[in-house]
Amino acid sequence: MSAATASAGIVELLPPDRVLTGEAASEWAGGRDVGTVLFPADTNEVQALVRLANETGTPLLPAGNGSWLGAGGWTRDGGAVVSTSRLDSVVHYEPADLTLTAGAGLGWRKLGAVVEPNGQWLPVDTPGVGAGTLGGVAACGVPGPLSGRYGAIRDNVLGLEVVTGDGRLLRIGGRVVKNVAGYDLVRLFTGSRGSLGVITRVSVRLFPRPGADVTVVFGGGVGEALEVARVVRVTSLPVAAAEMVVRGTGDETGRDAELAVRVLGGRAEVDDVRARLVAEVGTGPEGTMRGGEGEAFHRERTAWEGRSPIVVRMTALPDRLAATMGWAGGGAGRTRGEIAADVLGGVVRVKGLSVDDGIAGIAATLTRARSELEAMGGTLTLSRAPREVAEVAGWTGGGGGGGALARKLKSLFDPRSVLLSKCP
Amino acid sequence: MIPATLTKSLVEICGRGGVIVDEERLLVYESDALTAYRHRPGAVVLPRTTAEVQGAVTAIARHGLPIVPRGAGTGLSGGAVALDRAVVIGTARMNRILEIDAANHRAVLQPGVINAELSAAARPHGLYYAPDPSSQTACTIGGNVAENSGGPHCLKYGVTSRYVTGLTVVLPDGSVAKLGGQGRDAPGYDLVGLFVGSEGCFGIATEIEVGLLPLPEGVRTLLGIFDRIEDAGRAVSDIVSAGLLPAAMEIIDGPTIRAVEDSVFAAGYPTDAEAALVIEFDGVEAGLDEEAARAAGFCRRAGAREVRSARDEHERMALWKGRKKAFGAMGRIAPDLLVQDATVPRTTLPSILKGISEIGKRYDLVVANVFHAGDGNLHPNILFDRRDEDELERVERASKEIMQLCVDAGGTITGEHGVGLDKKHHMPLIYGSAELGAMWGVRRVFDPAGVMNPGKVLPEETAPEWTANGEEQGAAEPVAAAVAAP
Repeated sequence: MSAATASAGIVELLPPDRVLTGEAASEWAGGRDVGTVLFPADTNEVQALVRLANETGTPLLPAGNGSWLGAGGWTRDGGAVVSTSRLDSVVHYEPADLTLTAGAGLGWRKLGAVVEPNGQWLPVDTPGVGAGTLGGVAACGVPGPLSGRYGAIRDNVLGLEVVTGDGRLLRIGGRVVKNVAGYDLVRLFTGSRGSLGVITRVSVRLFPRPGADVTVVFGGGVGEALEVARVVRVTSLPVAAAEMVVRGTGDETGRDAELAVRVLGGRAEVDDVRARLVAEVGTGPEGTMRGGEGEAFHRERTAWEGRSPIVVRMTALPDRLAATMGWAGGGAGRTRGEIAADVLGGVVRVKGLSVDDGIAGIAATLTRARSELEAMGGTLTLSRAPREVAEVAGWTGGGGGGGALARKLKSLFDPRSVLLSKCP
Repeated sequence: MIPATLTKSLVEICGRGGVIVDEERLLVYESDALTAYRHRPGAVVLPRTTAEVQGAVTAIARHGLPIVPRGAGTGLSGGAVALDRAVVIGTARMNRILEIDAANHRAVLQPGVINAELSAAARPHGLYYAPDPSSQTACTIGGNVAENSGGPHCLKYGVTSRYVTGLTVVLPDGSVAKLGGQGRDAPGYDLVGLFVGSEGCFGIATEIEVGLLPLPEGVRTLLGIFDRIEDAGRAVSDIVSAGLLPAAMEIIDGPTIRAVEDSVFAAGYPTDAEAALVIEFDGVEAGLDEEAARAAGFCRRAGAREVRSARDEHERMALWKGRKKAFGAMGRIAPDLLVQDATVPRTTLPSILKGISEIGKRYDLVVANVFHAGDGNLHPNILFDRRDEDELERVERASKEIMQLCVDAGGTITGEHGVGLDKKHHMPLIYGSAELGAMWGVRRVFDPAGVMNPGKVLPEETAPEWTANGEEQGAAEPVAAAVAAP
């Protein structure tokens, strides 16, 4: 059944050139049938939309560029996606302060173009970041491999402007790097996946781009790569990130793994760390990438999930990586999937599962893996999934805690459940 | 004095040694390190376990008394002061490190563990706990969680909230919630991040999971001596603009230097200098000398008359001494000290320092500045004598003007000390009624009955009105506010 166009009242709030319906809306949403997409141009329009949605009972699904629409929200008949992609101006950027404030719709690449000439960056390598917006990345709040070194996005968002689900406009936090005035609502809204409000403006902390960016790649079978990963995990050397990708099909012996270890810092430091790391590992690397070559490699890695319809995210303590990978391999092996593992963070992602493998089979595999992971304190979350899979397998298990508190917070900021997004 | 039945219940829960009702012994708990606010609690309870905290919270709430959580009492905002004879739940006896999981760079501990002791315990594993508030030899991790504490090395490593990955908390209704845990990627709302910095208003953290870092292989510490504080500020900006990321950059101004050098903490800083800038780099040995040399060059080009560098740990401690002992040294000059804690955008530091100096002169007050220059976190300290009523009034007016100056520059009223009792009436300087109403709402989610640390953080006049069935009726009259654009 296709999603119907949103109610006339909501659509009429914006000029026709900022409303998409039918096939145009689906095309914008990467083939998903979303019914209507609205493009407000400023915070006032977002607030007006949300307020009218409350009055008319129209469900809304907040989005940036729409690259995470498969992550837990669907429009319902008469509802609409609200994209903040037109709120894309840089409001304040003072390079010497290493802070930037911009509209939520500022594209990630445009952000890079603004700050890179000053030798700065926002070191976030969350999945899919390149196609996203600043607000979308903040709303999703997913840590990437670099978060051990620089903190996750939630550690680097300094302030937010948000239209809450009931239409209140909040300006929380600020644009200074240390701020403990009042409760940390910035952390609550960052990573809340648009389930509490629509983020319209974001202030972030930037970092100086290190003088040297070197990536050392180790190859081999999964077992060998896991041993290199173990050495990288326990070393006292300052490794910025380490990510393993397992490709291939069939059983584990037929797979090949590639472990990319990223070292950032001054040139002398990076060369020293690279040499000592290779000595500690005891196996020669397949290659070393420097500068632009390495950056392009990591850009490609952030796009690893691509448009894969089902992506599963498993977490456990990093020293249990082999076990987590084992479950991931069990699921992926049966379903021709691929695996990416953040070695230092203990996060394992599986993609390539297909509904053709049977929803019941996928759900059973995920449920079993989830219960084993949770038994050792881990979690299994669906990062992206078709509705029918998510409804059977569940977005998440009991991890994270605070279920009753979370429900009350949702009710506080979105009492009429106007916002359709789910925060797993 | 609390009702005898409550005393009996608390003794049953925590043992006789865990309950203090003696008025003289309660005196110890009448203030935190901001001694301007003094209120004696009705009683103090010192539980040892989550279950005992749960029992104590339930018993106190049943008697309708407010609860004030307390760590070591080193806070600087009056946050641990017991208004209205509230019962203090102290974490002093919850001081066990439950686990050091070296393989995963994490530790699980009770809230009463002292910050520096965690790093000491982690050291044999080659690890340490990064947030290092100046009071780290006395303050507790539970207190750090409540205040989202910072410290000099947060410039490179970030504040407490970055390192807390899981919490077991006793909520104000006596229930226990486990939030996050087992690393950094828990699904759902970031309730751990929301709880950190909630200043004891959301509940009591009884078990805390934190991340640890590998000890840096090497450290280089520099001390730049300047004749003008603006030059020191420019050196800081130049170092940051050049892409260097020191672990710490701290400035102490002329009045502070002279206070230190006149005290038992004399560190050998020249007393005619107007600023001393401590810069520290850490990491692998390779490249550290080069980074330190570049930073020293920036200091000299900015006008430093002298740049010293430490050759060993002993010399490093000597360079840091003036900074670390600054607050202690000021006690010699005046009986009372008001420690401010504003953060401003780093580029505004020179004009803000000038403005603070002018405010001090206008009110005829001695203002001594110590600050985390790298992240714009200022600590203007106003020296005074509370017995002089006229001076006290001038201090209050100057203090408010300094805060307004920092807010007007795009800053905030507190960078690391918290709001507590001291700054709650300044919250409308940075937040409007919508933001304050939202904070009241979140507080109510955790504490519908309002029993946990009442009277702190949020000004009562900004509380929304609630219907009998718990629905918000809308905020009270809007407060006049200059809302800071995020």
